[in-house]
Amino acid sequence: MGLDRRGFVKFVVGGVAGTLFTPVIWQSLDDVSIWSQNWPWIPRLNKGEVKSTAALSKLCPAGCAVKVKTLGGLPYAAIGNTANPMSKGGVCPVCAGGAQLMYSPARVASPMKKVGEGKFEAIKWEDAEAMLVEKLTAVKGQEGKLAVISGDETGSANDVFSAFAAGMGSTGFYMMPGEMLTATKGVKLMGGNGQPGFDIAGADFVLMIGADALDSWGATVANQKAFAATRPTGGAATAQFVYAGPVLNNTASVSDKWVAVTPTGASAFALGLANLLIAAGAVSSAPDFADYKALAAKFTPEAVEAAAGVKAEVLKDLAAKLKAAKAPLVIAGASFGQGAGAVDFCAAASLNVLLGRVNVTGGMTVLPTAPKALAAAIGRESALDAGSFLSAVATGKATPAVLMVYEANPAFALPQAGEMAKSLGNIAFKVSFSTYMDETAAMADLILPAPHPYERFDDAMNPYGVAKPTYLAGKPVVKKPVADCKDPVDVLLAAAGKLGVSLGFETYADVIKAKASAVGADLDTLTAGGAWTSDGKGGNLSLGAAALAKVAPAAADPKTLAVAPVTRQAFGSGSLATPPANLLIVREDELTGKDLVVRMNAATAKAAGVTQGAKVKLTAGSGELKARISVNEGVAAGTVAVPMGFGRSAWDEFTKGKGDNVYKILTVSDEAGTGLKVWAGSTVTVAKG
Amino acid sequence: MEEKKQCKGCGGALPFVVGFVAAVIAGWVLFPGVLYSKQNQPIRFSHKVHQEQGMECASCHSFREDGSYAGLPNNEKCMECHADVVGSDPDELKYVEQYAKTGKEVPWLIYQSQPDNVLFSHKAHESFECKSCHLEVEKTDTPPVYYENRLSGYSKQTMKMWQCERCHAENGVSNACHVCHK
Repeated sequence: MGLDRRGFVKFVVGGVAGTLFTPVIWQSLDDVSIWSQNWPWIPRLNKGEVKSTAALSKLCPAGCAVKVKTLGGLPYAAIGNTANPMSKGGVCPVCAGGAQLMYSPARVASPMKKVGEGKFEAIKWEDAEAMLVEKLTAVKGQEGKLAVISGDETGSANDVFSAFAAGMGSTGFYMMPGEMLTATKGVKLMGGNGQPGFDIAGADFVLMIGADALDSWGATVANQKAFAATRPTGGAATAQFVYAGPVLNNTASVSDKWVAVTPTGASAFALGLANLLIAAGAVSSAPDFADYKALAAKFTPEAVEAAAGVKAEVLKDLAAKLKAAKAPLVIAGASFGQGAGAVDFCAAASLNVLLGRVNVTGGMTVLPTAPKALAAAIGRESALDAGSFLSAVATGKATPAVLMVYEANPAFALPQAGEMAKSLGNIAFKVSFSTYMDETAAMADLILPAPHPYERFDDAMNPYGVAKPTYLAGKPVVKKPVADCKDPVDVLLAAAGKLGVSLGFETYADVIKAKASAVGADLDTLTAGGAWTSDGKGGNLSLGAAALAKVAPAAADPKTLAVAPVTRQAFGSGSLATPPANLLIVREDELTGKDLVVRMNAATAKAAGVTQGAKVKLTAGSGELKARISVNEGVAAGTVAVPMGFGRSAWDEFTKGKGDNVYKILTVSDEAGTGLKVWAGSTVTVAKG
Repeated sequence: MEEKKQCKGCGGALPFVVGFVAAVIAGWVLFPGVLYSKQNQPIRFSHKVHQEQGMECASCHSFREDGSYAGLPNNEKCMECHADVVGSDPDELKYVEQYAKTGKEVPWLIYQSQPDNVLFSHKAHESFECKSCHLEVEKTDTPPVYYENRLSGYSKQTMKMWQCERCHAENGVSNACHVCHK
């Protein structure tokens, strides 16, 4: 009996019916639904143990002691470390995003060599290191042919780089500008030797002249903790904070009072206070008190009002409060952390001497010179500034053949940025030791990727602003970096060995071990998040009268406006672009769309002929910055406030091409009496555009 | 005529029945073989031998300090005893050479791995015996074959949501979404 058509149909129908009584359809549907939840592009959870490991996060200039949360060994968050006596469990807004920054798309994935304008080719480490040795061999023993620029203010890496330069026969070790460089020179003008510190925690009246101490100046988290401790919940404040600077910034907004001082008026303002304090009976045993008194007498309230824009009654009220305070402290600094002169520092710091507030609890201290890990290293007090160096390159006075850049971004973060970038271009061979593809790395001939802070050994000696000698150290949190990177110091030490330059160490970890030993610190305690501190003090100070005699009120040009760059730590630093997470807190009056927004008060805007939202060009020398206007009364008269940290041309999709770079319109001049390069008093012309 | 009609009727039902039975057999017997691929563990791990050494389940499958479950031991744990070759088992040599010495973790096949969208707390289920949910492996000399679902990618033994829900219901535990899906 054959199977006819009808029989076949019945067989199929039977088969289908039978299938309904099996798992074939039902399980397949279920499995397909599960399969659809597992598309290959859906990220998978990393499973494993949740741990919390201490680390030193040097993403911010001061360095934060953090706890890195890891899952299965991979970092996913950073929190404060309560074991650290400085930060007491706090963390700055940059280091809080440390885990995100470890996986940043802007990281340099492997060694790269330049193969054309803006074009790079990935190469092997052995080839990259061979190229470095080859270029260094060519300049060995030739003074001026090798230069190093470092942007790390606190690390022992500076000891290694400067000692290496010395071993190569070069004195060309330069630091990126910052408060530390200027203030250390200021202390010298006052007869001291060392780095100044400020004991905010012990003061009951804190006057911050310029220093943005509660946001971006010094050891910010420690400063904020000290401030917070004076504001007990439900209780009365135990200390008063006053901010004197050109812009109502984050520090000013939480202080008890903001005194609007023009960008060029800080010294006159400080000496005006000195005049009133002396008139009220303040005396000092400093040998130059008589000269100082005579000098301060010139800064009458009326003269200060003309020079700094501060009304006489405000100055008198402030002087009275300083006089009445039991433990007053004056913090001296530039309003944007750089560019001020050593004399400006002297003017503000001299108030501490006048009030007898040096090397006392709650006062200003002078830290003794920190020990060096390598005898041949250059100390901080002798470091040269990178801006002067690149200016010399521009004029042909310096002709380096090889430049090594460590944790610095001079192509972006030096005044007259456009010209500085051109100067860099004049150097034949540039090596960038960088974690990220920043503006300087993008110009380099060889990029040697550096590890992220969670992937490396590092240390921090005396972060600027700390009141006591302080030492921090950290070790890697992860077993393997996410990029094909090597510690720059390890690379340099290996190169030194091949070049016959004896530095005495093989790895950076060894250098840090030696530094800890020299300091007298227990490295295990430090790498667990602790801090070494000491009570060592660096001697007395004079009032700096000889240097202050050079202070002269700046001649105001009615056709120009003073530039007040505004820092917010959350927006990164010269060597680090704004972390992507922090772009969420950029305000409309800082960035609108891709336009940078600059602020000025109504009277200044009226005088400049601009209105709210107007497009303008700010011009200084060959530098030009495009922005929109925001009229805001939180800016001193005759001043334009410009946010810092924008206008990146490298980095990643999150930060590139947003706003404009204020460094382009900062102009350098020589400080009278010291010859230091300064740019805190930069001026611009404003034109509609 | 009457007989012919009866035969037609039988012939008419037979193909249907044959098709029905064939489909049922294929669906229950052959389909699983097609749906699941068979795989063996990368190392023939003997739970039996380890148990004979006096070890308990918790010696390797332990809770962490924060209460989370460590699951399978990693190299660090295994190398407490197996940093070097112990005995003459070829899989022992394989473990030491391929994993212990290279630092590479053994890619164990997990019989009951749950999807990422499920948070299963072993701590909350601590009062149950392991074998209530897991394969009974403590006396096996060779690990059970791992059956991987070719469509979903999960193991045949991966517990489905209805099983979780039934147990919760039987034990008076909430079946609200957030209990397992965070």
